[in-house]
Amino acid sequence: MSAPLPKRIIKETERLQNEPVPGISAQPHDDNARYFDVMVEGPGGSCYEGGVFNLELFLPDDYPMCPPRIRFLTRIYHPNIDRLGRICLDVLKNNWSPALQIRTILLSIQALLGAPNPEDPLNEAVAKQWKENQSEAIETAREWTKLYAQKN
Amino acid sequence: MNVIDSVGLSDFGAEGEEDSSDTSSALMRPDEQLEEKSAPAILAAHDDARALVRLVQCQLCSKPFRLPVTLPCGHSLCRDCLPEAHEREHVSYPDIPGRRKALQCPFEDCDEEHATADCNVDVTLNKIMEAIVDVVAKHTSIAGDTPTTMEVISSWDNPTGILPSSEKTIYHQLPGGRLIATFTLAAQGKLGYNTELNYPIESSAEESERAVDDTVLSDLLESLRKEVDCHVCYNLMLDPVTTFCGHTLCRRCLERVLDHSLHCPVCRRTLVIQPSLKTQPTNKTLDNLLKGLCAEALAARAEAFAQEEDEEQGDLKTPLFVCTLGFPNQPTFLRIFEPRYRLMLRRAMETNREFGMLMYNRYLEPQGDLGPVHFYHYGTMLHIVQTQTLSDGTSLIETRGLYRFRVKAHGTRDGYSVGSIERIEDVTLEEEERIEAEETSLPPVEMGDMVDEIARMSTHNLLEMGRAFVARMQSRSASWLQQRVLDIHGQPPSDAALFPYWFASVLPISDEEKYKLLSTTTVRARLKVTASWIRRIESQRWYAPSPSPSVQSE
Ligand SMILES: [Zn+2]
Ligand SMILES: [Zn+2]
Ligand SMILES: [Zn+2]
Ligand SMILES: [Zn+2]
Repeated sequence: MSAPLPKRIIKETERLQNEPVPGISAQPHDDNARYFDVMVEGPGGSCYEGGVFNLELFLPDDYPMCPPRIRFLTRIYHPNIDRLGRICLDVLKNNWSPALQIRTILLSIQALLGAPNPEDPLNEAVAKQWKENQSEAIETAREWTKLYAQKN
Repeated sequence: MNVIDSVGLSDFGAEGEEDSSDTSSALMRPDEQLEEKSAPAILAAHDDARALVRLVQCQLCSKPFRLPVTLPCGHSLCRDCLPEAHEREHVSYPDIPGRRKALQCPFEDCDEEHATADCNVDVTLNKIMEAIVDVVAKHTSIAGDTPTTMEVISSWDNPTGILPSSEKTIYHQLPGGRLIATFTLAAQGKLGYNTELNYPIESSAEESERAVDDTVLSDLLESLRKEVDCHVCYNLMLDPVTTFCGHTLCRRCLERVLDHSLHCPVCRRTLVIQPSLKTQPTNKTLDNLLKGLCAEALAARAEAFAQEEDEEQGDLKTPLFVCTLGFPNQPTFLRIFEPRYRLMLRRAMETNREFGMLMYNRYLEPQGDLGPVHFYHYGTMLHIVQTQTLSDGTSLIETRGLYRFRVKAHGTRDGYSVGSIERIEDVTLEEEERIEAEETSLPPVEMGDMVDEIARMSTHNLLEMGRAFVARMQSRSASWLQQRVLDIHGQPPSDAALFPYWFASVLPISDEEKYKLLSTTTVRARLKVTASWIRRIESQRWYAPSPSPSVQSE
């Protein structure tokens, strides 16, 4: 079961280390090169600004034919992220394409933090709050960011 | 002394004789040729300047490609060099703009018609040309005054005077070293595609010119580097195949992509038909360019690939589940409880989540070379979408059909069947269109001959016949079209390539009849099968109801 790591994954990992994206990092585990510890900073100007979010990312055997599996480990108040940290993002599902990569997916996730979409919710309760009382929802998101998403 | 001398001489003589003998050099030559073929030589910046420039010259206008288009036959030419298109008749499928018009391929070894929809700018080749033009511009601007002299070699293809053997010699002088000068000459339209050049040069200038050419080429390789990597495997493109939308991937990578989706991974445009990649020509220009510029890297890549392929497709590597019928793009639900199949399932989950589904051959009908085996030899590769394990250890699995295959050899591993397989693919779109045009332009037949009548219907009408039948049955609330069924299988696809698989998945007729779809190699052939079912059902002469369970087990 220890098939050699595809060149693609090796190259993606190298590029992530050598040409890092500001506010994003992804570090493979020593004992499993398909499993990454991911860190995404909340985008400036959003209610997640100042937050540092940890995620886990796994590249399945059929990657890149199938998308990476990824979820938030840090608690976050967001209409498109549920309580298990799962993310509702089209490029992680039907709109996945093998021409996408870890880098582009993480950028999409960062963009999702900057632009929550309560019309396509994964977390109904948060989405409802977001639609009915947006300023309060944003305030909650800020509080959660302070509570759970601080660098340690 | 004498003795020694004579020995020495005779040795010498024998060697000399052998060296000069004809038999010896005749024996040497085949070996040398073999070696040359197995390891294609890299073209050298200075010595092969003419050949290097030819790699990016359009065969029609002889200039470096401008907005190059790669045709379905794998040849490339400038977009402006495409011949005028004309309307086509007798082609109804696929009915999309750009397929009703076609152009006559200007390349002699092809000579086919190409639909204008298939003639789009080759994105990779275009980027390569842009990079080359940039590098040439940069080096032209820093070139010294010393020009390179190019002497046009007179030939039949390229008469330099009124008479082909004219004594008059044409010289051109341009600065920048051989590569830049030759490319510039081609860009000026003064270098025919087949024209050969001599570079008369004073030996004093040779060294510096050689150095300039080496710098130009290494600059070029540097800026081309990222353009010639495949978007899927991140390796140097191996056997590059270009889709109609102009995007290029390794042949193997494109095949894998098409197993999972019918969209181009780069631009997401729908690839109208699953192209038969076995017969899809290589992008010749790109292939030659890669071979000329990075033969060694390419050879290493090819070797690694062959090894991978060996490991993957070695004998009897594919797990086979002899159970029921599956179809490409359609879901199949299975309940697996026997330990040997749970083992097969687990192993599939640990690798690529795929296994082959075959139908049980109850009466041991002979299956081609395999003879009377316990399965039908055409099957469908299934991809495991999700599994659920119940408390009693039974697994419920949801799968989706990927592609069809035929079993070439089979055996058993730990109680379940394994085999080596070959894919069954549709012919190219062009072949599909040719067959339609041929069949639909046959003279009409007398009413009543169902087979002949169906054979003459356009592909479009065959599809519409199926969709109209489904709509009619739906309006009569046919039980096999209940909401529950549609929830699982979706609405009837408008894609003619996929409609028959959907139809077969929902229609309650015998599996033996549905099995006919698995060996077809054209969209038309599949639609003719479904059309014959409809005709027979409607004429009430034939109806073999059988349950179409969505959960099967063995
Ligand atoms: Zn052609
Ligand atoms: Zn041209
Ligand atoms: Zn590739
Ligand atoms: Zn494309």
